Amino acid sequence: MKIVSLTEFSLSYTKDSPPALNGINFDLNSRESVVVSGLSGSGKSTLCLAIAGLTETFPAMTFKGVIRRSDGANGERARVGIVLQNFYSQITYLRSTVMEEIAFSCENLGLPRQETVRRVSEAIDMVRIGHLADRSPLELSGGEKQKVVLAAAIAGKPDLLVLDEPLSQLDPESTAYLGGVLTELKREMALLIAENDPYFILKVADRLVVLSEGKIVADGPPEEAITRSSVAYLDLPAWTMCVAKADEEGITRENRQAPPYELNYRKAISALKGPN
Amino acid sequence: MKVRFENVSFTYDTRTALKNVSCEFDSGRTILVVGHNGSGKSTFLKLMNGILKPTVGRITLGETITDGKRTSELARLCALSFQNPDDQLFAQTVKKELRFGIDNIGRGDGLFDSIVDTLHLAEHLKSNPYSLMYALRRLVTIGGSAAMGTPILALDEPTAGLSLREKKYLGTLLAFLKARGTTVVMVTHDLNFLLPYADDMLLLSHGEAQFSGERDRLFAGKDARDLMRRAGIGYPAYARISSALDLELPAFSAEEIVECLKKKRAGTTRRTNGRHQLEGA
Repeated sequence: MKIVSLTEFSLSYTKDSPPALNGINFDLNSRESVVVSGLSGSGKSTLCLAIAGLTETFPAMTFKGVIRRSDGANGERARVGIVLQNFYSQITYLRSTVMEEIAFSCENLGLPRQETVRRVSEAIDMVRIGHLADRSPLELSGGEKQKVVLAAAIAGKPDLLVLDEPLSQLDPESTAYLGGVLTELKREMALLIAENDPYFILKVADRLVVLSEGKIVADGPPEEAITRSSVAYLDLPAWTMCVAKADEEGITRENRQAPPYELNYRKAISALKGPN
Repeated sequence: MKVRFENVSFTYDTRTALKNVSCEFDSGRTILVVGHNGSGKSTFLKLMNGILKPTVGRITLGETITDGKRTSELARLCALSFQNPDDQLFAQTVKKELRFGIDNIGRGDGLFDSIVDTLHLAEHLKSNPYSLMYALRRLVTIGGSAAMGTPILALDEPTAGLSLREKKYLGTLLAFLKARGTTVVMVTHDLNFLLPYADDMLLLSHGEAQFSGERDRLFAGKDARDLMRRAGIGYPAYARISSALDLELPAFSAEEIVECLKKKRAGTTRRTNGRHQLEGA
């Protein structure tokens, strides 16, 4: 089922500014995980905000085209949870503990207490922040705050979870772990994630959408979307970079059956090991 | 300028963020401070620049002991760019933001223009920093701190939110600062990008220093993988590839790895040729 569908959608933040999104055609289906990549200014955050329905609140915004939101299972509008790029602004600081801060999202959905307690403890386990549950949100580190905001979004059990650079302050171990969590979560909800981390993309993305100057330049499974024409806008895994560099210097194994960008670690190592 | 921590601990109200940390870094080095979320990395930077004062222990910048000094005095020695750019930005234009530090400490040595060039900020000088996208807001805060020309520069997560293009600008800035002899201390999780620039490393875990010293000494050690795993940062991808390719020492970028491979092959070929010659003779 389509959750959101954009047709020839363009958006400018003010009447005179160049379009932040330009002629976007994009469908997002339920239980699909889509990662959006591209250079800064390519429109990643704007796409996240537009799909979450938040650009509608910008006073000077103008748009063209159609954005269609489908109804959820019970005939309600599909519900969206979001972690903003500036997630610091999402912590209310009205509550004295992390646990209560996370419960705030459930309380606003009008959930009964028992259900709230259950979801909060699930989300805390899922994001692995049990050790922070009783701490004050005020005294957390940047990465810890990012995890709290993510847990609050998960606790709301949205139909679509939108994450704008969710790894920006996370340590590598948390990043790797979170990849696994999101792979599980996509059984329950659709994911739209603005992210450039190539390891995360390979782990989580069913679909990679590459943006440049407000336009979609590639859209497909990562191995199809990473091509000679989209690679200028993307970070690639270390092993892929090594093979590309080695190809350039002509020292990869002869007869390497080339995909130009080798995304598979084992195949990359074997190509680099050379003739022996 | 040299940075020295002697048995430094720091406690926020009740929670101890740094425990008995001792380390020393020479002037002009580029240092990466790494560790899991909540390991005390940002606290380390704030102590260095005097926003926080040690609960116990002593910090020395060059010949200056930070104890008893005002943060405004220490700001002449060490500029800090915050983890969240929006905590730092306050001026109405990018130009004012970039000039604030320099004008306040009274240095005007032409650094401003170099920083603007290096970070490609010229076209944004008249913009309101808050109207810029995130990656540019971060570059502006990094630029504003770097433009102060302090002998020590502390950057908290400088690559967070940057795409490929801005990371390259940051790389150029780091090379520029290195040539000027600036000591640069960076908190980061982005080892794949920043390790090639690093001279030294500080590994923090639960507020304690697990390792401090030369990057190459860390990676040459048998326990490098273990240390890094315990610090919650895993083993960097290029180092892992180096070991899968049996390189003698880990390399930290695709260019370095391919160079090492070429040398290794050349070595093997020469040996083979030598044997053939011997057999021929």
